[in-house]
Order: sequence, then structure tokens, then C-alpha cells
Amino acid sequence: MSDEYENKTGYQAQSSETISSGGRGGGSGTVPDADHVRPAEIPEQDLYHGHSFITKWVFCQDAKVIGVQYFLLATFTGIIGLILSWLMRLQLGFPEAAGFMTAEHYYQFVTMHGMIMVVYFLTALFLGGFGNYLIPLMVGSRDMVFPYLNMVSFWSFFVAVVVLLASFFVPGGPTGAGWTLYPPQAILEGTPGSGMGILLMCISLILFVAGFTMGGLNYMITVLQARTRGMTLMRMPLTVWGIFTATILAMLAFPALLVGGLMMTLDNVLGTSFFMPTILKAGEVLEYGGGSPILFQHLFWFFGHPEVYIVALPAFGIVSDLISVHARKNIFGYRMMVWAIVGIGGLSFFVWAHHMYVSGMNPWFGFFFATTTLIIAIPTAMKVYNWILTLWRGNIRLNVVMLWCLGFIVTFVNGGITGLFLGNVTVDVPLSDTYFVIAHFHMVMGIAPLMVIMGAVYHWFPLVAGRFLDEKLGKWHFWLTFLGAYSIYFPMHYLGFIGVPRRYFEMYDSPYVTSAVGMNEFISVAAFIVGAAQLILIYNIIRTLKIGKPAGHNPWQANSLEWLTPSVPPEHGNWGEKLPVVHRWPYDFSVPGAKEDFITQTTPPSEVTETEVEKT
Amino acid sequence: MSDPKIEGYEFKPGFKGMAQDTGSDQTMFKGVHWGKAMMWIFLLSHTFIFSCFLISYMKGRGSTLIDWPNTSEVFSLHVGSTPVPLLLIAIMTFVLITSSGTMALAVKYGYEKNRKMCGWLILATAIGGLTFVGMQAFEWSKLIHEGVRPWENPFGAKQFGSFFFMITGFHGTHVSIGVIFLFIYAYKTFKGHYDEGKRGWFTTMKGNYVEIEILGLYWHFVDLVWVFIFAFFYLW
Amino acid sequence: MHPGIIFFLVVLGSLLFHIFTPWYWTDIASNWVGMDDTITLTFWVGGGVFIAVCLFMVYCVVKFSYKKDRRAEYKPDDKKLEKILTVATTLGVAALLAPGLIIWNQFVTVPKNALEIDVMAWQWGWQYRLPGEDGKLGTTQIVNINDNNPFGINLDDPYGKDDVLIQSDLINLETNQPVKILLRSVDVLHNWYVPQFRAKMDAVPGIVTYYWFEPNKIGEYEVLCAEYCGVGHYAMRGGVEVQSTEDYNQWISEQETFNDYIAKQENIELENKKIAKNNNFLLNKETYKEE
Repeated sequence: MSDEYENKTGYQAQSSETISSGGRGGGSGTVPDADHVRPAEIPEQDLYHGHSFITKWVFCQDAKVIGVQYFLLATFTGIIGLILSWLMRLQLGFPEAAGFMTAEHYYQFVTMHGMIMVVYFLTALFLGGFGNYLIPLMVGSRDMVFPYLNMVSFWSFFVAVVVLLASFFVPGGPTGAGWTLYPPQAILEGTPGSGMGILLMCISLILFVAGFTMGGLNYMITVLQARTRGMTLMRMPLTVWGIFTATILAMLAFPALLVGGLMMTLDNVLGTSFFMPTILKAGEVLEYGGGSPILFQHLFWFFGHPEVYIVALPAFGIVSDLISVHARKNIFGYRMMVWAIVGIGGLSFFVWAHHMYVSGMNPWFGFFFATTTLIIAIPTAMKVYNWILTLWRGNIRLNVVMLWCLGFIVTFVNGGITGLFLGNVTVDVPLSDTYFVIAHFHMVMGIAPLMVIMGAVYHWFPLVAGRFLDEKLGKWHFWLTFLGAYSIYFPMHYLGFIGVPRRYFEMYDSPYVTSAVGMNEFISVAAFIVGAAQLILIYNIIRTLKIGKPAGHNPWQANSLEWLTPSVPPEHGNWGEKLPVVHRWPYDFSVPGAKEDFITQTTPPSEVTETEVEKT
Repeated sequence: MSDPKIEGYEFKPGFKGMAQDTGSDQTMFKGVHWGKAMMWIFLLSHTFIFSCFLISYMKGRGSTLIDWPNTSEVFSLHVGSTPVPLLLIAIMTFVLITSSGTMALAVKYGYEKNRKMCGWLILATAIGGLTFVGMQAFEWSKLIHEGVRPWENPFGAKQFGSFFFMITGFHGTHVSIGVIFLFIYAYKTFKGHYDEGKRGWFTTMKGNYVEIEILGLYWHFVDLVWVFIFAFFYLW
Repeated sequence: MHPGIIFFLVVLGSLLFHIFTPWYWTDIASNWVGMDDTITLTFWVGGGVFIAVCLFMVYCVVKFSYKKDRRAEYKPDDKKLEKILTVATTLGVAALLAPGLIIWNQFVTVPKNALEIDVMAWQWGWQYRLPGEDGKLGTTQIVNINDNNPFGINLDDPYGKDDVLIQSDLINLETNQPVKILLRSVDVLHNWYVPQFRAKMDAVPGIVTYYWFEPNKIGEYEVLCAEYCGVGHYAMRGGVEVQSTEDYNQWISEQETFNDYIAKQENIELENKKIAKNNNFLLNKETYKEE
């Protein structure tokens, strides 16, 4: 895909060269040639238009509706996860006020909070929510390529959530095995929910994976095979790149979870011994024998590490677009950004065992995985540099969207740096399984992606609903969330330095641990405030839907296709009569010589001959 | 395969052509049907599933304390009174690979719009698949009869039973799903749905002979996976 | 207030918190000073990058905030700058990785003179076994475990008979004597972790894992389980006392060996039998009397 090659292909280079040469080409004489984009090679998509309420809003095949459905359901489970975290913080900060909570409850809440937030909230929201809504709009297709499959994908996610929540009501309650579900304890007495709870969890995950596969196939094929005329891969917004790469990761990483979950289900239900060695329990030797608990950890983390990037890459992509639009400047080093996303995605399959440095696996693995892990820091760092270099000499609108982006940069850099601690095998030994780990991953894959989600909500709400969210409320929401979350997780690292292990229901007795009680109280209070601050967003949305300021077309003066639909919000089929034709990348902001400070992707070169726009 | 004709697009051979396709607009795989591209990626994902199974199997087999049973004895079939190792498996593998052949022919006749021939070949494939599943059921019942269970195994390490039933079961499920689809597709072919572009029952998408090729991809994949399972379970 | 100022205060606050925090390392009590040093190094490098990136961001936000009549710079990329940044980052990462790998090499290379200690974990407690005079631990098997053989030592293993058994969650260690902790679990995953020693490793049922350290500070330390192991995880504590050589030798001479333990159990059985016999005898005598 080098520049050299593009020059040879003709149809594309023709247009761009004429633009860049501006004066040389002699102006309007060459216009028709410059605007030429080769004809469509794929026939018009055959869409199913719903007629009844059910086919229009419930079992709907429109990716935008499915995206909103995913968004709402993921948010709903996310709120449950939030409430669980409140209960945990209540126990940790004010144990005397949480007298109703037993250790069993606590561990169940820990487990469900983790699983919900990682899989059912963040993954579903980024890929299912933003992916469905934005991919077809951003690449200029009418819909996802398999709308029916897409609908089934959402409903199988729905069933997965129902099964997950059902586990709260079965005998023994939901599983309390920790979100990593390590056997043997996950399916042995002594862990809460070791019978029905873990079974329903495995079933729910298998359903989620099945549903996700259907969605993922859609996202991938839509990006690969259903772009509009002129939309090359290197003209796609980074949002699409992020979601697309994350989807590839998910398609290849979820199989490991599926296999691990299936094998554990069999261990649990049939009494096989895949992960179960000889075990002595309450003086009796159990029927199990010969299995390997560490095998599960390998399978789990082969899924689990790419999962981190399944959440992070869409966030990287989205935040790049938000920063670029609101700094009125092209994203710095677009190609580098794309290759960084792809590189991080590829490398993420070779780092999984850095979660297992002290798991008892062969210690020599440590050398390999520490090296690969720190290598992954390089493309990640490049992305950070490019974000701040995009701000540099920009024309930054300090609105709520930009604030969330800045919040993302601070929290992500913070969490990324602590990743250097944990990835470096020696440093990980004292810190693993302590609160340092909790602080690290909440900062880097909890708060940082959440900042992006919030920024994206404020950014795209005018598109989805046609109205602006209130800025003033938004600023309150941002500062409470950002400052609150930062003051939860920044000090928490230091609990880890003291040596406080994670997943402790109570901290009693240890002299050096008791010094942390005050901090625990502080963290809990901050957590309550941050959680409550999310109500501002809900209020803001409801208020906006009623009396918000109408947004109109392209309210942020953005370039990418989703803002260029004939109607706002876009209708089923997205583009009305004719699909858009793309002539440039989506980052032509503040081009010297242009009338406005943005040139949309569909602006033909003949309209901007006076400018010094570069070839893309 | 020759390149499809696309207006305003000139194909190039080899690596350069690949780079050109990747860098072009609209599609990356020129002229490839969406469904076909989807099936390839679906199968790529499935490759990871079966790899995870087989790697777990290798790890499990490598780390058991009790010896693995002698596979050529456990899987032997008695003809009269002499045990013949691998007899059943050889027949099963033969049947499945043959069915892959008939599937390939069905695809060919499909594109030639030879409705009858195509339908019969799909049916033959389905029957091949059904025979395979039947023989697998026979083998399962034989092993179960001899006392092998997912949780225990009289011949040695209990993981043998666990992995055998799980992996062949998972594969067998895929074959069975394939067989169901083959029957449906055979029906649709005979009815002429692909000729007239009749809309599907669920997806409401127009019928097209490419669907047979897509199913064929799946069928060949299931067949290929069986070769690996065969090698790992029966020959190791 | 300008948002840039708040972000600046956040960065400043983080720095001040780090400098003045009352919550930091417990005093190290083992040879793994290198781990602390690597962490300090990572703090310098990482903290520097964090502050630099955030301050640059604050600068941009303040300097380049929106003005209607200004245009942003149009510069899609800068190959040279990107190259410099990549090289600089790579060097930084290598500087962190190298010492990490060197110390990890020490961590996985156990010194020859290390004393092997069998740490046995279950839900939810610990017990310990030390080699006896032959300096070797006997082999064990989980299925052997019963009241007469709490560690599951193979009875036909001659090395096992003189092993020192410590059926308590407290163990004493000799200062400046490297120890190799051999971890065993009979049920689920556990992790024998003393924050002051820095090192830790999971105990995995079915296999024996290990790590080593050299305690070098006399005192008492708490053992925490650092791998989630069920509802009792948070209460699964133990203790270590690091002693001077004399105190340690005194202590170990008072501990019972497996042989002692077997003899004691046999004695108890014998006693029980005697009592039973005696009772019988008395009973018989009474019967006799009545006759």
C-alpha cells in the first residue's frame, strides 16, 4: 500500500495529483478528470425494511437500531456492575456499615462486577454499540452486510445477559470465582456459586461468544467488502480501524475462552478432569485427577489479553477522531496510527502469559513474555505522542468532548506507565495480586475507555438524536467523574506497594495494612461520588431529548461520512437515493487556502483547487 | 481461477496485485461474494477453536501421570476374532473425504446451473455425512460399552475419555449441523430456489448458487479438521 | 478556571502525593533489593514520561485554545519527529527491560546452598516441612495424607523419615540463609506471600512450584495468601520469624521429625489399646468376682 504503488494504479492517483499540483494543473480545465472515481463494483444492497413495531424496533435489522439496542443493554448491565462496585467499596471502606454482607457476597460481587464490566459492558458497548452504529455510516454502506445475522447477534447477547443475571437467583447464587474463573476453586465447594453459578456463567459466556461471532463477521466483512466508492482502507476514520482490528482480535481470541469455558463446564457437570488434579478436600480424595489448572490459565489469558485490546483499540480509534475534530487539526501521523493499531493487535497475541508470571508456569517463559510485553509499549507510546502532537498548534475547542479526550490522555498515560511496571517480570513479582494491579487495570482499561465512551456519547449524540447534550451539565459530569475516578485509582497504587493483596474481604490484623484504612475510606467515598455523578448524564440525556438544542447537519463541522447523511438522524439505508463518493481522508481540517476549516470526505477535488491539500 | 471482470479496475498478478487490491476502494477481495468472505473468516475463527482443543489435548496427554491407552488396541475392530486396528476409522475417514469430493462436484454443477446433478450430489454429500455420524455413534457406543466414560477409562488415563468424547463430539456436532444444512440446500436446489432467486425463509435474501459454494467451504473445513483429529487421536 | 490549570494541578498533585505519601514499601527483609531498585528506576522513567506528556498536553490546551480567526497548522505527519520519538521510546523501554531481565535471571536461578522448605497449603491454612539431618526432603503424594501422615510423605522413601514437620502456620527461618520455597497445594491455588520478602509464587495443586529468597532481617512477618482461593482467602494468614543462627538452631532442635511423629502416633495407639485392654481386664475381673 505504498505511495509508489498508488501512483501506478492511476484511477486514484490521477485525482490526487491534480489537487496537490493546484496551480500546475491549470485550474478548472482538468476538473472532470480530477473528480473521477471508478464506478461501483458491488451491486446495491438488498435491504429488508420493517413495517410493524416489532420488525422496526425490536427484531430490527437496521444496524443503527441494533447499535442503540446494544448500547442500552450494555449500559444497563454496566449500571448493575456499578452498583456491585459500590457494595464492594462499602465493605472495604466501611465494613461496619456493610454488616449484611458476608464474604460469600463480597466475592460474588467482585466476580460479577469484573465479568460484567469487561465483557458485557465494555466489549458489547464498543463493538456492538459503536461498531454497529458507526461502521456502516463511516465506510459509506447502506447497512451491515448481513442485517439478519446482525439482529440475531444482538438477541443472543440479550439471552447471554439474561442467563448471566439469572445466576443471581439460583441456589448458591452467582459464581464467586473471581472474573478469571480459575479452576479448581471455581467448581469446588468453598467458592460461592460453585454449582449452578459457574455453570450459568459458562453458558452465558458461550452464548456471548456465539453472538459476538455473528456480529464480528458483519463488522469485518462490512469494512473489507462493502465500502463506498473512493473509500480505501487508508481513508477510513481511525474509529473504524480501531473497531475493525478489535473485531479481528475478538474473532481469534474468543475461541480460547469458548474452549476453556466448555472444558470447565464438562469438569463441573460430567466430572471430567481437564483442569482438575488430584484434590484432597475435607479429608477425602476427590474423584478428579491428572488435569492441569495452569492449562486453563493459558486458555483464559490467550483470550484475556487480546480482550484488553478489544476494549482499548476502539477507544484509541474513537479518541483519535474526537481529538482531531475538536482540535480542528488532522490527526498527526495517520499512517503511523493505523500501523500502531494493527501492530498492537498483532502483538497482543504474544503477551498473554504476563498475567501468569507468578502462576507457577515455567519461569523461563518470563524472559520471552516480559520482552514482548515491553515491545508493545512502543506502538502504544507512539499513539500517545501522536494524540498530543495533534493538539499541538491546533485550534482546540475546549468543549465537553475535548475534556473527555484530555481526561483519557491523562488516565491512559498513567495506566500505561503502570503497565510498564507489571509487564516487566521482575517488578511484577512483588506487585502482582496486590491492589497495584487493580489500580493499574482500572485506570487503563476501566477509566480510560470510559472517558472515551463518554466523549463519544457527547460527540455523537447530536447525530443519533439530533440534539446537543447540555454543555454545562456535561462539564459537571466530566469533572466529577474525572477527578473522582483519578482520586480512586491513583492512591490505590500505593496500597499495592504496601503489599495489600487483592480480593481480601477484610484487612484485619496486619500491622502494615491497617495504615491503609483511612485511604480505603477515602477511596470508597470517591467511588460513591463518581457513581452518582453518572446520574447527571442520564438526566442530561432525558432533558436533551425533550428540550435540547437542535443540532442540524454536521454540527461539529466534521469531515467523516457519518455526518453527511441526507437526514439527521440517518434513516434506514443511511444515504437516501445515492451512496456518497469519497475523495479524501477524513482529516482535512484547517487546510491552507480552503474557505472553511474543514473539507468533508465527499468534497470533490474540483471544489478545492485553490488549496494546498495533500494527497491522501 | 481467473479474476472477475471489474469496470475501471485492472488486476495485477502476484504480490503486487494483492497490494493493489488491499489499497483499492470498495472491496479488498475483488469479486468475492460477501457470504463467501464471511465463511472464510468464520472458518479462520474456527481454526482457533479446534487448535485450542487440540493443543489442550496435547498438553493434557503430555501431563497425565497414568499412561495413555494404546490407541491401536482401543480403537481396533474385531473382524471375526482378529482385531483390526483403525478399521472403522479408515472407513469413516474415507467416507468423509469422499463426501468432500461430491460436495466439490456439486459446487461445479451448481455454477453450471445443472440443477438436477447439483441436487443429487448435495444429497450424496449429506448421506456421506450422515454415514460418518452414524459410524461415530457406533464407535462411541462401543467405547461406552467397554467402560470408557468422559470421567473414567479402564484402559489408562481418564483424560483419554474426556478429550476423545469432547473433541469428537464437538466435531461430530459440526458435521451434524452441516448435514442438516446439506439436506435443506438439496431441497432448495431441487425446488429451484437458486435458479429463480427465491428469498430465504429467515434472512429474506435472494437465493444464489454461491450459497452452495459457501456451504461447501464449511464442509471441506469440517473434513480437514477431521484429518487432524484422526492424526492426533488415532495415529499418535 | 481554565481546564488546563486543573489538569496541571492533577499532575502536580500526583507528583506531590508520590513524594509525601505515607503509604509505601514496607522495609525490605530479603535479598531482593534489586526488585525495589527496578521499581524505582521504572518510577523515574515512567513518571518522567507521564509528567512530560501531561505538561505538554496542558501547554497545548492553554496555548492553542479555540480562536475564531486562527487556523490550525496543516501537517499530516513528520517522519523525522516520529522516528526520533520511536527510537527514544525504544531506548527507554530497553533501559527498563534489561535490569528487569537480569534480576529475573537471579530469581529463577536458585543458589546451591538454599535450604529447601516444603510449604503445604490447603483451604485455608499452611504447614511446613524441613529436611532432616540428611538434608533432603522425602517425596510426597496427596493420596498418602491421613492422620498418621499429615504431609503425605511416601513411607518407603528413606529421605522422608527424618523430615522435620511443623504442623503450624508459623515457621522460623535462619537469617542470611537462602531458602527455596517448594509450594504444594492439596486443593486449589494459593500463594505464599510475605510482602517484606517481595517474592511470591502460586501453589498449584498437582505440581510443585518454587521460588527462593534470602531473609536478612531478624523479625516477625505476616504471611498472606495472594491467590484467590475461595471464601476463606482473606483469612488465610501465617507467620514467619527470621532468627539469628543460634536461635534458629535452638528452635529447630525442638521440632519433631516424621520418625518422632510416627512413634508418638504409635504410642498413642498403644496407650489407647492398653486402656482398652485394662478396661476389659477390669471388666473380666469383676465378672470373675461375681462368679
